[in-house]
Amino acid sequence: MASDTPPSTEFLLELTDIQAGYGRAALVLRGLTVQVPPATVVCLVGPNGAGKSTVLKVASGMLTPRSGTIRVAGKDVTKNSPQQMLTAGLSHVLQGHSVFKEMTVSENVLLGAYSVKDKSVVSDRVDFVKSLFPVVADRWNALAGALSGGQQKQVEFARSLMVSPQVVLLDEPSMGLDPKATGTVFEQVVRMRDAGTAVLLVEQNARRALETADLGCVLDLGRVHIQGPADELLRDPQLAELYLGGRPATTPTH
Amino acid sequence: MRNASDPTSDSTSDPTSDSTSDPTSDPTVRTDAGSRGRAVLLAKGIGLLVLAAAVLSFPSLAPDAFILSVGVVIMSYAVLATSWNFVGGFTGYISLGHAAYSGLGAYATALLVIHTSLNPWVAMLLGGLLVAALAVPIGIASLRVRGASFVIVSIAMVLILLLVFQSWGEVTGGSNGLRVPRPFDESVLRPEQHERFFYLHVALLAVALLTWWAIDRSRFGTGLKAIREDEDKAQSLGVPTFNYKLVAFIVSAFFTALGGGMYALWFGFLDPIFQFSILVGSYMVLMSLLGGIRSLFGPLLGAVIVGYAVEFFKNQYGDTQFHLVAMGLLLGIVVLFMPDGIIPALSSLINRFSPQAASIREVSAGELAEQRRAAASEGKDLDATEAEPTDSLPEGAKR
Repeated sequence: MASDTPPSTEFLLELTDIQAGYGRAALVLRGLTVQVPPATVVCLVGPNGAGKSTVLKVASGMLTPRSGTIRVAGKDVTKNSPQQMLTAGLSHVLQGHSVFKEMTVSENVLLGAYSVKDKSVVSDRVDFVKSLFPVVADRWNALAGALSGGQQKQVEFARSLMVSPQVVLLDEPSMGLDPKATGTVFEQVVRMRDAGTAVLLVEQNARRALETADLGCVLDLGRVHIQGPADELLRDPQLAELYLGGRPATTPTH
Repeated sequence: MRNASDPTSDSTSDPTSDSTSDPTSDPTVRTDAGSRGRAVLLAKGIGLLVLAAAVLSFPSLAPDAFILSVGVVIMSYAVLATSWNFVGGFTGYISLGHAAYSGLGAYATALLVIHTSLNPWVAMLLGGLLVAALAVPIGIASLRVRGASFVIVSIAMVLILLLVFQSWGEVTGGSNGLRVPRPFDESVLRPEQHERFFYLHVALLAVALLTWWAIDRSRFGTGLKAIREDEDKAQSLGVPTFNYKLVAFIVSAFFTALGGGMYALWFGFLDPIFQFSILVGSYMVLMSLLGGIRSLFGPLLGAVIVGYAVEFFKNQYGDTQFHLVAMGLLLGIVVLFMPDGIIPALSSLINRFSPQAASIREVSAGELAEQRRAAASEGKDLDATEAEPTDSLPEGAKR
C-alpha cells in the first residue's frame, strides 16, 4: 500500500500553517509547517513546551487543528479521525511503553494489522517486520511485558509498521531507556527508513536524534525556528548553545 | 511479580503458539520451544482427560442424593461463572449483576414451559435467545461506561428486575414463587433426576468452555484482550471496541440465561429474591477471580471451590451468619496471595521449576545475527527452511 505513492507530490506528509491548542487554552502550535519527504527521518527537537508532541497528536488525528491543512501523499486529511489517519497511512507510536504487556509479542504485532482485512497482506507484513526486527521474531511467543524496555519499543515499531504506513510518527522512542537500548532503538529507526518508511521523530535527546535523522526542525513556541539537514544543525554553534546544551559537534558522526 | 516471566505460564491462553504459524521465527528458539511445547501439550491433554474423567465419574462416586445435588449446584455455578467470564475475562468489564440474565433465563424458560406446549429444552434454548436479544439494548446502554460506573449499572439491573418480578404477581407468581414443571416424567426418581441434570449441566458447561476457548484463540479474542488491557489503545489500532464488547456481552448473557434456564428445570421452583440476587452475581465474580479470569478453566475451578465451600459452610454454620464470614476469609486469602487467581499462581509455581527461557538482556540486531551464525555453524539440526537471512534487510523491504 505504501509503495504506490503518487509521484505528483514531493512530500509524504505535509503539515501546513497548523494552529492547534487544547481546549480554550492558548494556542500551542502557531502556524507550524513541517514536511516529510519519502524514506526520510525528520526529527523535531526543541525545549519542553515547544509543541513537539502536539505536532504528532495533530498528525495522528488525536487533536484536530484549528486551522491549517494536513496532507498525506498530497491528499487532504485534515479533519480525519485517528482511525482514518491510520488508514490514510499515518501510524503513531505513543510516548512511553504502549505494548499490551499481558499479551504475547505476536498478538501485539497482529493487533497492529487490525484494520487490514487481507490475510495474505498481513502475513507478508509479519514476515517483513520479523526480518526488520529480529527481536520480534525471536520472542514471538513471549509475553510482551517480559521484554526489556528497548525490546518493547521494537515491538511497538513492528506493530506500527503492520498497516504499511506512509509515515511512522515516533513520540520520544528513547524515553526511559538506557544508552545502549537507546542506541538499538535509533539503529532500528534507521532500518525502518532504509526499508522505505518515512519517519517523523520527536525527541528530548536532541543530539542523539539529530545524529540519526536526515532532516531536523527546531521548534520553539509553536513554530519551526530553524530547519535543515540534521548534520548541519548539529554543527550550528548557536543552535548547540540554545538547544543541545553546550558545544557543537565538531566531528560529524556520519 | 505476576506471571509475566514466561509465556506458557498461562495454562490456557497461549493461542499463538500454534494458531499463528511463523515460518520465519528463529530456528534455535523453535527447536527448544518445540520439544518443550510438545511436553506442555501432552501434559495439558492428560490434565484435560483426568479432569473430564473426574467430573464424569462424580455421580457414580457420590455417596447419596444430597451430595449429588451439591454436585449439580456446583456445575450450575460453573456454567454461570464460565458464562460470566465471556465479559469479565475477555474485556475486563466486571459485571456484578449477571444474576439478571440467569434469572431472566430461568423465568423465560419456566413461563414458556407453563404457557406453551414447547418441549422444555426447546423452551430453555428459546429463553436463552430471548435474553440474548434483550441483552442488546442493555449492552448498548451499559457498555458506554467503564469501571465503577459499569459495575453500578449492572447492579441496578438486578435490583430493578427483582422489584419487577416481585410485583408482577399474576405472571411471575411474585414472592410466592413459581413452580416449574419437571422435564422428566414421574417414573424418574429424585436421585436419577439429579444424575441426569448433572450430566446436562456438564454438557452445557462443555459447550460454554469450547466457545470460550475458540474465542480465546481467535482474532476477535485478541481484540477483546486488547480492550481489557487498554481500551483507548485498542481503539487507536482500529479494533471496533464497542461492537466487540457488545458481542461478548450478548454471548455471555446467552450462556448465563441457558444456565439459569437449566437450573429452573432442575430445581423446579423460582423465587425472585433468589433469582435476582446480588449474592448470586457476586458468586460468579468471586469464582472467576478465584480460579483466574484469564484461564479457560479458572471459573470452573473457582466454582468447585466456592460452591463446595458455600454448601459446606451452610451445612455447618447455616444457622448463623458465620458461613458468610468464612466465605469472606476465603476471598481475602486469595486476594492477598493469589491476586491473579489460582490457576495463574499455580502455573507460575510450576514454571519456576521448569527450565526457563534465556534472560531478557538487551540484544542488538548485530549481536543477534552473530548468535545465529554461531548456532548455525555448530550444526544443530537445522534444515534448509530454517536458514533465514535475518541479519540483512529483507527482500520485501524495498517494496
